[in-house]
Amino acid sequence: MSEEKLLEVRDLKLEFNTDRGIVTAVNGVDFDVYKGKTLGIVGESGSGKSVSALSVMRLIPNPPGRVADGVIKYRGTNLLDIPYDEMRSIRGNKIAMIFQEPMTSLNPVFTVGNQIEEAFALHQSHLSKKEIKNKAIEMLRLVGIPAPEKRVKEYPHQLSGGMRQRVMIAMALSCEPDILIADEPTTALDVTIQAQILELMNKLQQELGMGIIMITHDLGVVAETCDEVAVMYCGQIVENADVNTIFHNPSHPYTKGLLESIPSFDATSSAKKEKLPTIEGMVPSLFNLPHGCNFADRCPYVTDECRTKSDPLLKQLNPNHLVRCWNPVQPAN
Amino acid sequence: MNNYSYIIKRLLYVIPVILGVCLIIFILFNLVGGDPTQAMLGKHATLEQMRELRVELGLDKPLLSQYFDIVRSAFTFDFGRSWSTKQQISQMIKQGAVPSLTMTVPAFMISTVLAILISLVVAFFRGKFIDKAVVFICVSLMSISSLAYILFGQYFFAYKLGLFEISGYEEGFPLFIPYVILPILIWVVLSVGRDIRFYRTVLLDEVYQDYVRTGRAKGLSENTIMLKHVLKNALVPIITYVIIQIPFLILGALLLESFFGIPGLGGMTLNAINSSDFPVIKAVTILSSVAYILFSVLTDVLYTVADPRVRLK
Amino acid sequence: MTEAVLSKKNYDKSTEVKSTSLWGHAWKQLTSDKMTVISMIIVFSYFLTALLSFSGIIASGWANEVGASYAAPSWAHWFGLDIFGRSVVDKTIKGAEVAMSVGLVTAILSMLIGTTMGAIAGYFGGKVDEVIVWFYTTFSSIPYIMLLVAIAFILGKGMLAVYLSLGLTSWVSLCRLIRGEVIRHKDREYVHAATAIGGGHKRKLIRHILPNVFHLVIIDFSLQFQTAIKSEVILSYLGLGVQGRPSWGTMIDDAKLELARGVWWQLAAATFAMLIVVLAFNILGDSLRDALDPKLKGK
Repeated sequence: MSEEKLLEVRDLKLEFNTDRGIVTAVNGVDFDVYKGKTLGIVGESGSGKSVSALSVMRLIPNPPGRVADGVIKYRGTNLLDIPYDEMRSIRGNKIAMIFQEPMTSLNPVFTVGNQIEEAFALHQSHLSKKEIKNKAIEMLRLVGIPAPEKRVKEYPHQLSGGMRQRVMIAMALSCEPDILIADEPTTALDVTIQAQILELMNKLQQELGMGIIMITHDLGVVAETCDEVAVMYCGQIVENADVNTIFHNPSHPYTKGLLESIPSFDATSSAKKEKLPTIEGMVPSLFNLPHGCNFADRCPYVTDECRTKSDPLLKQLNPNHLVRCWNPVQPAN
Repeated sequence: MNNYSYIIKRLLYVIPVILGVCLIIFILFNLVGGDPTQAMLGKHATLEQMRELRVELGLDKPLLSQYFDIVRSAFTFDFGRSWSTKQQISQMIKQGAVPSLTMTVPAFMISTVLAILISLVVAFFRGKFIDKAVVFICVSLMSISSLAYILFGQYFFAYKLGLFEISGYEEGFPLFIPYVILPILIWVVLSVGRDIRFYRTVLLDEVYQDYVRTGRAKGLSENTIMLKHVLKNALVPIITYVIIQIPFLILGALLLESFFGIPGLGGMTLNAINSSDFPVIKAVTILSSVAYILFSVLTDVLYTVADPRVRLK
Repeated sequence: MTEAVLSKKNYDKSTEVKSTSLWGHAWKQLTSDKMTVISMIIVFSYFLTALLSFSGIIASGWANEVGASYAAPSWAHWFGLDIFGRSVVDKTIKGAEVAMSVGLVTAILSMLIGTTMGAIAGYFGGKVDEVIVWFYTTFSSIPYIMLLVAIAFILGKGMLAVYLSLGLTSWVSLCRLIRGEVIRHKDREYVHAATAIGGGHKRKLIRHILPNVFHLVIIDFSLQFQTAIKSEVILSYLGLGVQGRPSWGTMIDDAKLELARGVWWQLAAATFAMLIVVLAFNILGDSLRDALDPKLKGK
């Protein structure tokens, strides 16, 4: 990759202290984020994708969570080592985050303008109040909100879901961060609005050049926005490749299963007669992970080796394609 | 719905509630209350004397007109005369209001400010030892009877240690101060436990909301989050809670005034209870109910002002 | 490209997640906290004491003169004697009967009246709801003390009056809560589902909605219990309380004359006895709320 690498996460391990014992929510995860590129982290709920992203911002509440191992290097600096105040100056400034529920993520008793201005006032305090006010209006314009001068004075509940998410994006991008982390930004929105928001994010990425981490369970979102994809299962990355490879040549049985379970509008008679394939079984509880490969019980290609040999390591099929499997499906070349 | 029409509607609803309160008072005192003339005239009263007294007190009037008398008094604040002191009750109320307020107003302000400050600290350090310790202390404070506090306070601090006046009162500022300090302290101890628990709950409800996470993601400090974002959201229920206590300040604290000899409305009420002085009891009940109802409307209106979600375009 | 072979036989059941019911989960959470367990033991002990005292097994001789009037605490009598030379410890134990029964009756009355009114108001809505809401708004506009005194006044003295006056003034907060919850649940899908399979009003209310609001009842129960115990003290002070037998309220009330003579032990005994049980109920109530509130379950 000729692009600049902004973020390098290695061996990230996250533990949570629950009343049923210590659970490892993220177990040895690696990923990179490049300037101007979008990394998608895909998985079901509980796979560890959200908390992996939250730990980049050091937003994991401690207690009950803690980073047990690993490094998170932003432009060479390990974010896990720096003092809290320094981390605060990076949050919302160099690395920003938007969340899933725009209604509850915005403070209901402050105007949207006020909340965007706050980001400027915090990280760009050299600006005058008037300049900050104008910048807030500009941000609203940038994210495509009509009549921003009026909207600035409105409260979150007065806006629609799509507009609130645009406000969140405006707030996050106000200080032109290097990295934007988007945690399921469109899950709570209508399908048509989803498309608009994703289009907006792509456009802004082209204009501002930030790297994006897109966390989602929706493969459609991945197809629309991601350059590279990391598939997570039970706290581990099971496959990591560029988006084309993931969709056309998935190697891990789990990834294959996910893709096969997407309903298609294929009008051929054979497609109509077949039942929608699903992945057999259930995700194992993180308190009771099986020996060997986590996916063994549900895997159609399982062998004895998979059950007995401890966690498979990431194998490199190609320079840009990693798979965590003892018997990965060979790519059809 | 328009802001103004909401207020009007809310005010109009006050009327059926006041009528209902009068109804309850009517049922309790005029209907079920029994004939007080026996108790007032003593064992050797003749039937004739009791009948005369009943006419004098207006107890022989038809029930419906007795009810309307009550309703009228609720709107005119003319409660007639006390059975025991023969004074105009509205006059008694005017006289008793000031001494009550000299105690309740400072007590209220001190306990509110103290409780909010402590709960901010406790909410900031949630889960840590100081949080658990304070909560435990508050709960313990709430588990002791008010009478016990009064008796102990009076005995220990006033009598034994001689730090304060045991009882009595002097009109005029600053003469009344030494007499109200101990009752104020006891009031504060009585209410601070319950108040801190409430404010703490309200603050913690906000602290776990999503917008706090967003604030952190923006890079705000925990202080800013607590004092700007959380507090402003928490202010809405806090204001409601604080305002609704105000009508009771006028009533004074029945027990405190009685024990400390403060000639306020609370003591007046207690005396009325002890001497079966129905008109006074009814008057105080009506007065405090109406005050409570009006202040409820006030808090509802304030709610629409303070919370933009409820505020209308 | 191989076809996916769906095979069940290798599925390992031990990795299944067992779902726990609300109550099972709540019980587990309650018993895991030391303070809560201690509180439960305390409450149970008080009930036991009251029962033993009621049946005469202990403290039956409370009315007997066992020493000099106002004797100070000693090894024989840990909390001394009262004006009639009676053991304060025995009186305190006997007083537990009043406290526990007053708390129990009040809480039960509050539960019955509050739940019924709240459920009916919330479920049927319309005019019925308006009337009930008007009624409890009116009721709650009258300051608690005035209402309590007024009702107690009318009912005269004695235990029955205490039970009724406390019970009749305690139901409003529960009524409001239940009404709110019933309204919220009334339109939920599972109730519509019950209608779809032909469920009538009674069935829907009792079998489907009430179990979902029961946690509010439990929490309110503990709150009303301790409020009643504390209110009994006020009633006793006003001369409207229990007659002819010791209660913590009368003991504290007696203290207003005793303290001037330096006799503090009746006040101490009654206050202490009440402090422990009310504190236990408070802690229990808080833990119950934490354990049963479905919103908090995820945290």
